[in-house]
Amino acid sequence: MERFVIIGAGAAGITAAQTLRELRPDDLITVLSTDERVHSRCMLHKYLGHERDAQGINFVDADFFEKNDITHIPGETVKRIDTAAKMVYFGESYSLPYDKLLIATGAGFFIPPIPHFREAPNVFGFRDLSDALAIDEAFGRGKRVFIVGSGLVGLDAASALCERGAEITIAEMAPRVMPLQTDDYAASVYQKAFEAHGCRFLLGIGASDAVVDGEGNITEVILSTGEHVPCDFIIMAAGVRPRIQIALDSGIAAERAITVDEYLRTSAPAVFAAGDCTGLSGVWPDAMDQGKYAAWNMIGIAERYPKPYPFKNTSNFFGITMLSVGRLDLTEGAEILAHRTPTEYRKAILTDGKLTGYLQLGNISNTGLYLYLVRNGVDLSGRKERIFDLSFADFYGINEKNGEFAYKV
Amino acid sequence: MKRIFIDPSKCDGCKNCSVACMEAHRRDGGSGVCTLDLTDPANVSRNRIVTDGRGGYDPIFCRHCDVPDCAGACMSGALKKNQTTGLVEYDEEKCAACFMCVMSCRYGVPAVSADRKRMIKCDFCVHLEEGPACVRACPKKAIEVREV
Repeated sequence: MERFVIIGAGAAGITAAQTLRELRPDDLITVLSTDERVHSRCMLHKYLGHERDAQGINFVDADFFEKNDITHIPGETVKRIDTAAKMVYFGESYSLPYDKLLIATGAGFFIPPIPHFREAPNVFGFRDLSDALAIDEAFGRGKRVFIVGSGLVGLDAASALCERGAEITIAEMAPRVMPLQTDDYAASVYQKAFEAHGCRFLLGIGASDAVVDGEGNITEVILSTGEHVPCDFIIMAAGVRPRIQIALDSGIAAERAITVDEYLRTSAPAVFAAGDCTGLSGVWPDAMDQGKYAAWNMIGIAERYPKPYPFKNTSNFFGITMLSVGRLDLTEGAEILAHRTPTEYRKAILTDGKLTGYLQLGNISNTGLYLYLVRNGVDLSGRKERIFDLSFADFYGINEKNGEFAYKV
Repeated sequence: MKRIFIDPSKCDGCKNCSVACMEAHRRDGGSGVCTLDLTDPANVSRNRIVTDGRGGYDPIFCRHCDVPDCAGACMSGALKKNQTTGLVEYDEEKCAACFMCVMSCRYGVPAVSADRKRMIKCDFCVHLEEGPACVRACPKKAIEVREV
């Protein structure tokens, strides 16, 4: 009987635990997590917006651990791994032996080195349920919110709080909102929607300093323009960093992220890593995928993890839905095709006859194939005229054996 | 597990399958295709028949894939592959409407509901004893349920 230990109960950790259980019905599986409860960070805004409670943002069944006979040790952060003795240490004086270990510690929010921001007790991230709880509490004391960053995380927080009557200011260094997922037009659509809900945007502007009270709380943010913006608390949504401390403290190779090979093995024997802590991607589907591959490799099914295509996302704010895939900025030699109606906007960027970027705003039904076309560099030079009318029928194939579809390109 | 097998060479594009799907999933309380509002975006079909550009038709139906891209992308736990029945099941209550499933299905099957609050995908008509309505509606036997 083998002992599997997983550090982290996010997308990668939970998927690994479940995959291990499916393939190894009798082995011991333990999940240690800093988080008190399993939750999907992609649903934190539903919690903060008081649409759902903590169980409502759990992405597994309430009895997941019992049902799968997996031991969950919540609220414990692993302090050190002894990779020679194959032991993890947590809490005051606890240890747990393993035969195979998975590090799936995720990523944490990042606070840029702006004076007072790193020390102030009223600066929060928006990554974990504990962050949402802290923001909820702060919101009870004051409703003027300053958000740094207008990516998906910043806008998630804004959408949740504006419905609750917050007075929100969002500072974005880039000249448009959601700079990674949008172009100028798509950004303007979302910006208007947020402004209609009472949010104020400061674009191309950063926070450069702060005024603090006697307890170190930031009471005013000083912008790069010199303007002072009074606030009750601050939400940092200016990017994340892989959580690598555990690797650094245990002699496991890491730079910006934990170093893994194509089998998701770390530099230490029998220690694997998956999810955001590997820096391979930062989106939920890829973390789940890595959890699955890590589990396979942990039990000796040698499966190479295929490099993910990291530039992809969907967004849905106030019922405005968008799909963005690939690079949306214009690079040399690229060709832009666009189509716009009052309710829909589509944009395709072709480079050498291949789709390198795709954006669709409005109804995004049936658009999954565009991710496939970008990721696989499918030659579309003969189909340019119909780029917005493509469907799987253009590549239609059937696997006669099992009846599944198969691409013909 | 069962899967709806497709023989595109038999399809003549009548779209009876689509109408049957809309009828089987209508939520307005009515019954019978004569009272089905085909223009109401709430009555969207979960299957699509697309011309192949050469005079034929390509039926695009959810395959309930062995390794489903959609469930592999779901961050709320709403989409799950049922290992017993083989179906990719969808729990509307759990869904948080992020639509990463829509992005991830390489065949472009999942759709977004008209109110943008849920995803729309084949449920194999589990609420109907006689099985998928589309299959029963096909006059050409271009689609049929088979054991895999």
